[in-house]
Amino acid sequence: MFFKATEEMGIKEKLGILTDAAKYDVACTSSGVDRRGDGTGIGNTEKGGICHSFSADGRCISLLKILFTNECIYDCKYCINRKSNDVPRASFTPDEVCELTMGFYKRNYIEGLFLSSGILYHPDFTMELIYQTIYKLRTEHRFQGYIHVKAIPGADPVLIQKTGYLADRMSVNLELPTAESLKRLAPNKHRKNILAPMRQIQNGIQENKNELVLYRKAPHFVPAGQSTQMIVGATRENDYQLMMVAESLYQKFGLKRVFYSAFVNVNEDKDLPALPGGPPLLREHRLYQADWLLRYYGFQAQELLSEERPNFNVLLDPKADWALRHLELFPVEVNRADYQLLLRIPGVGVKSAQRIVRARRNGTLKFEDLKKIGVVLKRALYFITCGGRMMYHTKIEEDYITRNLISVKEKLPFDKDGITYRQLSLFDDVNFQQFSQTGS
Amino acid sequence: MEEKYLICEDSLEGIFTGIYEAYALREDHKNIHLQVGEEDNFRLFASYIRVAADGEKAAKVAGTICRRLGEGTYLDICRALASEDKEKGEAIYKTVLGGLKMKNGSQVMGNLADRHVHKVFELARRTRNEVHHWKEFLRFQELESGILYSKIGPENNVVTFLAPHFADRLPLYDFIIYDEKRGIFVVHPKSKEWYLVTDRDFDEEEIGDYSEREMEYQELFTFFCHKIAIKERKNLKLQRNMLPLRFQEYMVEFGL
Repeated sequence: MFFKATEEMGIKEKLGILTDAAKYDVACTSSGVDRRGDGTGIGNTEKGGICHSFSADGRCISLLKILFTNECIYDCKYCINRKSNDVPRASFTPDEVCELTMGFYKRNYIEGLFLSSGILYHPDFTMELIYQTIYKLRTEHRFQGYIHVKAIPGADPVLIQKTGYLADRMSVNLELPTAESLKRLAPNKHRKNILAPMRQIQNGIQENKNELVLYRKAPHFVPAGQSTQMIVGATRENDYQLMMVAESLYQKFGLKRVFYSAFVNVNEDKDLPALPGGPPLLREHRLYQADWLLRYYGFQAQELLSEERPNFNVLLDPKADWALRHLELFPVEVNRADYQLLLRIPGVGVKSAQRIVRARRNGTLKFEDLKKIGVVLKRALYFITCGGRMMYHTKIEEDYITRNLISVKEKLPFDKDGITYRQLSLFDDVNFQQFSQTGS
Repeated sequence: MEEKYLICEDSLEGIFTGIYEAYALREDHKNIHLQVGEEDNFRLFASYIRVAADGEKAAKVAGTICRRLGEGTYLDICRALASEDKEKGEAIYKTVLGGLKMKNGSQVMGNLADRHVHKVFELARRTRNEVHHWKEFLRFQELESGILYSKIGPENNVVTFLAPHFADRLPLYDFIIYDEKRGIFVVHPKSKEWYLVTDRDFDEEEIGDYSEREMEYQELFTFFCHKIAIKERKNLKLQRNMLPLRFQEYMVEFGL
């Protein structure tokens, strides 16, 4: 059997095992906090975050994402590190983590550290190790780059509090959207144990804001906010349930981000679905699109989905789907519509909506100006007028627009997910050539 | 009316001096154009005036832009100046002109319907994006002397935009960022201000050997990049979209 005492293992071997074990956690952003270096150490952070590389799956590499240890006392059925799995186990020491972080950071490989962990002996013991590690990194090494750490459910609140003053972001993974699913797949985890540290961090952030108002130099508590992650497709919840949970996490727990992780079946447990088509990437993609609509476009989950229509349209993105069900609001006059309404036009993003508002102060915008601004006209043209005119003579009719929108191939970040481009081409007989001949 | 072309040196000083001279002509700006570098296709009914860069005149123009059009516009103009586009001079000149005519000049960059403003906006955006990409993808290699050394090959002249970022990030390190396309480099001596070197050839032989641990770290990071990928989600096309090949040749994890 493959087992080596951790002490004998080289750093490369440990890094391999503990990266492998951490890769299913999707959060890798380094965003949310702007901090200049103070000149006494190393590092700073940028509000927008910085990706440093991209792995073969096209995901961004921003942080050194590792587990402290993949030893675990829990037996969650979806997790590669579950107790009953026979996988090589390893643990870092705090010094090893610091050394790797510093060595990688100064070479500009990474933006900082993402430290998660299996539960070694007890949640408190594990949380203490995480705390020790980032304490060393922040104080001995004067590291001022980005740190994202997990709050271990069930750990002593005092430890979580102390850690929060050193980290930029903390996260507690919800893992599964309902308590019932959690019970079934993660028998050792309890929903209230997950929500408790989440609430604690939320309150900590709020109190810290008040302190900072009073005393500007007060230490910052989790300045980049907290995030969480839900696994998509391991259990039977529909998109509507997921979005409602996400929405309440944003509203009631003040989360910065909710991440969605397409389920990858690594354990072949009888309670887990077989996914012959691979991880549900399209579904994950639609959830992210909708999540964006909640956070930046002023949408409510219930506008996008309902009990009757609980899942996203596979053929259309959630915003186009919404617009098609609300054709009575369109076409919108770009030169007059307020910002919130501009945001609801398919083909208009946050940046282009802002640019429209700025640019129209200097005069009436024409379609060619919208193109310069970055509006995707082939999507927007069914929903807008410029100076009272539509771009082409088009019908405002659901079926007709749907066909046309689908024929404009949506840019998806993958192309091998159940629905392929070839299936979409069924609709290809209606295309834009006709418009340029008959139109305008 | 005869068209006049002011030929300026390709630098902030050169182009700003050109703008100064364009105003000094006191003629209709419609007939005045600013051109960067030598013309190879002279027009028949136009006169060409060569403008020598002048620090004082340029400083006046820079001051006016900052004051009347705002810091944000000034920075966008600086970014546009970093571009290799031949028409940047004319676009910047006409943008400044348009801005100074506005009641609130700081709004000038919002006027995207104007083709010159749009040009400056485009060029500035490209530079800003490229600066961001190099902040992401630039790699330092540790030399035996302890200096961190990085070589880049940017399309726009971005080293001076990168230097403040890394100087803030690595205040206690000596580092060099070398732009191999332009033969210029930035030097940051530890705990001191960084500076730009444009008038000295950079000899890669001079930098000497890499430090003992350098290869070890490159290997560890390459291994990390390999391990972090989820094989069930493999998507090389997405990887290439996010990380264009032109950057990969400068990145250690793609070299090994």
